[in-house]
Amino acid sequence: MLIELKNVTKIYNQGQINEVTALKGIDLTIDDSSMTCLRGASGSGKSTLLAIIGCVFQPTTGRVSIAGKQLSRLPDRFLTLHRRQYIGFIFQTFNLLPALTVQDNITLPLVPLGIAPVEMRRRAAVLMDRFAIAHRRNFPASQISGGELQRVAIARALINNPPLILADEPTAHLDSRLSEEFMHFMKDLKTAGKTIIITSHDPLVTEHADVDRIVDIKDGRIDAA
Amino acid sequence: MLLNSWSIALLLCGLIVLFLMGLAARSAIRVLLFWNPESDSNRQIRLENEIWLTSTLVEYALGIQIISLIVFVLAADFYSQSIAGAMCATGSLLANSFGVPALLVKIGGVFFYGFWIVLHHLDIHSEKYPLVRVKYIYLLFLIPLLVLDLALEILFITGLKPDIITSCCAVVFGDATGGGSNLLGGFTHGLSMGLFYGTAGALILLGVVLLERWQRWLGVLFSSGWLWFFLLALTVVTTEFSSYIYAMPFHKCPFCILQPEYHYIGFVIYFALFLGAFFGMSGAVVEPLRFVEGLEEGVTGYQRSAVKLSLLFLVFFVLVSSYHYWRYILIGGEG
Repeated sequence: MLIELKNVTKIYNQGQINEVTALKGIDLTIDDSSMTCLRGASGSGKSTLLAIIGCVFQPTTGRVSIAGKQLSRLPDRFLTLHRRQYIGFIFQTFNLLPALTVQDNITLPLVPLGIAPVEMRRRAAVLMDRFAIAHRRNFPASQISGGELQRVAIARALINNPPLILADEPTAHLDSRLSEEFMHFMKDLKTAGKTIIITSHDPLVTEHADVDRIVDIKDGRIDAA
Repeated sequence: MLLNSWSIALLLCGLIVLFLMGLAARSAIRVLLFWNPESDSNRQIRLENEIWLTSTLVEYALGIQIISLIVFVLAADFYSQSIAGAMCATGSLLANSFGVPALLVKIGGVFFYGFWIVLHHLDIHSEKYPLVRVKYIYLLFLIPLLVLDLALEILFITGLKPDIITSCCAVVFGDATGGGSNLLGGFTHGLSMGLFYGTAGALILLGVVLLERWQRWLGVLFSSGWLWFFLLALTVVTTEFSSYIYAMPFHKCPFCILQPEYHYIGFVIYFALFLGAFFGMSGAVVEPLRFVEGLEEGVTGYQRSAVKLSLLFLVFFVLVSSYHYWRYILIGGEG
């Protein structure tokens, strides 16, 4: 799934007194089945860039194409379908619903697709076994450990079998052991043919052997690629 | 007649719709000047976001305008209580020279506004907004119609004077004026009924053929047939069927059937007729869009649904509108 960004700019609060230019003329190509790390200090624009690639935000100018299709400006109904089908998002704070069980959190992205509950549970069971959280199946997300939360978040991102995985500072709240574990999971996903983009300034991620490419972001521009 | 709830509701509706359309006209001009789907510029992206909101507002505004036809007829019926000689909306509408033109503009508007909504739905069901220019040019043509609609409405309402003596439906469509047959240019009972059922039958046949295989010329014929049937049905309901609904041979009126003493059957009849005619005609209206990139599938899907719905409403309309007539023919009068 080749990703191409051409002259992407993002301005928040355009025309207002608190206008902020988060990205300035980004040109970037990301290869299929690769692991790319967007590295930069806090406020450099790397999370904004990830959100634009993930079709969460629209660029102010420029074009984002995934697999040859311009997605950034698709009408909302098509964008929603695209996100469901092609993108798995892992958030910095995982964004699980604390009152739902582990299984229900994982199957949540399948609910709008109208998939039968039996099939949902079957798919969730495969992922829970893979990430060693099957014993927590019926625990509410509020009652599991940080490492388990991380694995639930990864399982939720993978339940639709998306070809593109986006992770925003996934190790920011994890100790070094869990960060290593996270990168191990990412390596497996890359081997399985997924395209992975991670934003981070954690050396455990940026210096990991399986990261194919580091893209440095500074003040909204690509510093070196 | 301005200071009553019906007049205020009608005028507010008209003014709100016109205000929203005025805002949309600004977007329409920007679309005409700057729309370029190939561009990645900030202006194009902002325009795309702007027209998404504008189109939604226009859709609702036109929806309100379509509904205002019902409000207008009910208002005309209400005014009849204050006008000497009027017994229903017929008398009110004939109380000055703006009533009937206002009604006709509103009836025509239902179709023109509805076609815009169909264009909009085809457009947003495609990934590339292929109809933005077309629908905004069309929108600019709708604005004079809306202004005319509101102007006639205001002239009609302000021109209603309680001391003007008008005629009731019994006089307008009564035997002295040709028993309503003047509406059909002197068609005999047998001819008008034959035309009514014959056209309905032909439309059903054409519709079934179109559902099997869409052909452009048959589609145009189907839509033209619906236009003819719509006009014919309005007059046949007035001149033939209404007196059976009222169970009074001398009472022929297109509006009294909307009243509670006739169980509001007129609403059912007219809803079915208007919806059937709209869907029947819109199939051919969207036909040229088949050749726009990315729309062929959407147009085909819409045409099939439109033909199905038009046939459904046609059958329902024929059954409901002629029920009292056939009941009388087969089992006699009210007893």
